Amino acid sequence: MIALVIAAPLLGAAISIAFRSRDTRRAVRVLLAGVAALLPLTLLGTVDGLSTAFVVIVSALGFLATAFSAGAFSFDWGVVDTFWSRKSVFFMLLGAFWSAMLLVVLADNFALLWLGISATTLATAFLVGYSGEPAALEAAWKYLILCSIGIAFALLGIIVLARVSVEAGIDPANALNWSVILAHNPSISAPLARLGVTLMTIGFATKAGLVPMHAWLPDAHSKAPAPISALLSGVLVSCALYAIMRTLAVGTALGAGPQLHLLLTCLGALSIVVAGALMLSQTDLKRLLAYSTVEHAGIVALALGFGGPLGLFAALFHVFAHAFSKSGAFLAAGLVQREHATTKLSDLHGLWEAGSTGKMMLAALTALSGMPPFGIFLGELLLVLAGVAAHSWIALAAGLVGISLAFAALSRTAILIESGRPQSMTAEARTSTGQEVPAKLLSRVAVAATAVALVGALVVAIVPWIGLGDTLRLTALHIGTSP
Amino acid sequence: MTPELLMLLAGATLIVNGRTGQALIAYIVLAATASAILLPASLSTPTAVVLFSVSVILKVGLAPIGLRWFLRANPTADDLSPSMSAPVRLLLVIVMAIAAKSISQDPALAAVPMLGTAVFTLLCGIGMLMVHRNLLAHVIGLLVLGTGIELAGAMLAPGLPAAFELGATFDVLVATFIGLALVRAIATHNPLLDVDALRRLRG
Repeated sequence: MIALVIAAPLLGAAISIAFRSRDTRRAVRVLLAGVAALLPLTLLGTVDGLSTAFVVIVSALGFLATAFSAGAFSFDWGVVDTFWSRKSVFFMLLGAFWSAMLLVVLADNFALLWLGISATTLATAFLVGYSGEPAALEAAWKYLILCSIGIAFALLGIIVLARVSVEAGIDPANALNWSVILAHNPSISAPLARLGVTLMTIGFATKAGLVPMHAWLPDAHSKAPAPISALLSGVLVSCALYAIMRTLAVGTALGAGPQLHLLLTCLGALSIVVAGALMLSQTDLKRLLAYSTVEHAGIVALALGFGGPLGLFAALFHVFAHAFSKSGAFLAAGLVQREHATTKLSDLHGLWEAGSTGKMMLAALTALSGMPPFGIFLGELLLVLAGVAAHSWIALAAGLVGISLAFAALSRTAILIESGRPQSMTAEARTSTGQEVPAKLLSRVAVAATAVALVGALVVAIVPWIGLGDTLRLTALHIGTSP
Repeated sequence: MTPELLMLLAGATLIVNGRTGQALIAYIVLAATASAILLPASLSTPTAVVLFSVSVILKVGLAPIGLRWFLRANPTADDLSPSMSAPVRLLLVIVMAIAAKSISQDPALAAVPMLGTAVFTLLCGIGMLMVHRNLLAHVIGLLVLGTGIELAGAMLAPGLPAAFELGATFDVLVATFIGLALVRAIATHNPLLDVDALRRLRG
């Protein structure tokens, strides 16, 4: 059943190609994406809490991104004719990307998890360079090279971990299964174990876009089509953070906990400060959102670094809050880009009066800046509490400085683009998109997908008080107290 | 000539030489030698044999053919555009060899056979990515990195050949086909394939 759940998004994309009528194909795509998003419900109770939480993120946002893409494909993302700049290829790659992320969060061992992470690179390199424009191709190149190096390090770490497990007497067939490693409580070669989990953490941190391995992220996330940016920022980064959480659990069991907590604290604090500072100098909306992803990945890493059940709960909750907020923000940015034919901040004014897109953009920027009642506010509050509980004053202070800088950058951007008189689309912009009055062409499905993601960003704030919150708390407790 | 020496010479050629064509020959020698070393360990299970065969076909066959075909179509990309002078690159190779030897003599790892060769190969892959500014050098660098990991996997965890063959095959697949497809598209506006021309995007 797990295999079917993982393959469903890719199968759905493949099946929908068979339909000739464009409208039928579009409807089938959305329908099958819905089925693929609901199928993981059949796994309830068979996978652990951490996997369950991340499956919710992957499935919900995978569906929204597919619906947005299907609804908004009058948007001409493909500019230059490359063999991958075709709609059918786009949806196949999107389905493969979604399936790969499901493999990451449903795998029960590090070999499959690594394979899933690696497969996301395979699927998304072309999606990042989808438009075929020089800047998009270069972003795809940077993404491919830097992430390949990162995941190569992760694989090396996994190999070292396998040796450690086998030396400790674990059956080679289960040497990379984290449940078996945790249950075995191996007496192992400590230096090798530390080396293995450190390499794995650095490798997965590259995929999560943590500073100083972040160089690929702002380019890739800002140059990809909006729904891909939403998945890259909201879900792929979350999957990489999930891999770090699994590594942390095993690393703690192997006696490398203090070292990993220190590493994550340093990477997290550095990411928040650097990203916050760089956000102030951004001139492009999507690039600003991409740097915001680095900042929020840093917040999760810092919370993991603080450790303890509170820190781990803060990390898990923040992943949830950020995934919905950032996906909503990128989808809204896609709508803005379509309406105004630009994402340059200097060319965007009066979005509030221009229509619903501007209001959604404002909601997204407000959510990302950490204002209540959105989930990110609660995530950042939990981070502060975890920092206080861990007595990590310097890292907490650095984190708060970075969060303040990011807040300033997002607030300034919101004021800049929402205020003033709405600009009517220029003749140049009309020519570049090749269509008249694009606002009328905005698909309701695309707008609805964006709105749902933003409502998710708001609703996620109630997670700590519902059943899912209990799951996250229990999971955090499990990671924090692993033997 | 021992396999270790052959791989040392091939790795040194990758870093020191400045021509893509010659680097490609050095890569083929390195990949073929590594495959010969890995062969006995990859015969343990049918899955491992299949994955090893696919990996060898990709690494030693299709990837070099793809790179060679691309070079013939774009002769200007034959310059690897190294960012350091030849003596400095030679010094770098010596430092990498000493570092690999030191790591392999660590008490915790001393029992692992050919670990020094695997580490040196890994360092050569990273060196290719750092020293040369040609995009094809980066593709070759990723392939060398994948070869190094495959070797390290076979030496460090001999009981798990299938998992690492799968990983290494995936690495090669990503590096070769996506890399070459992107390089082909980038070549239309950057025929020299110089990485410095990609600096418009700043991380």
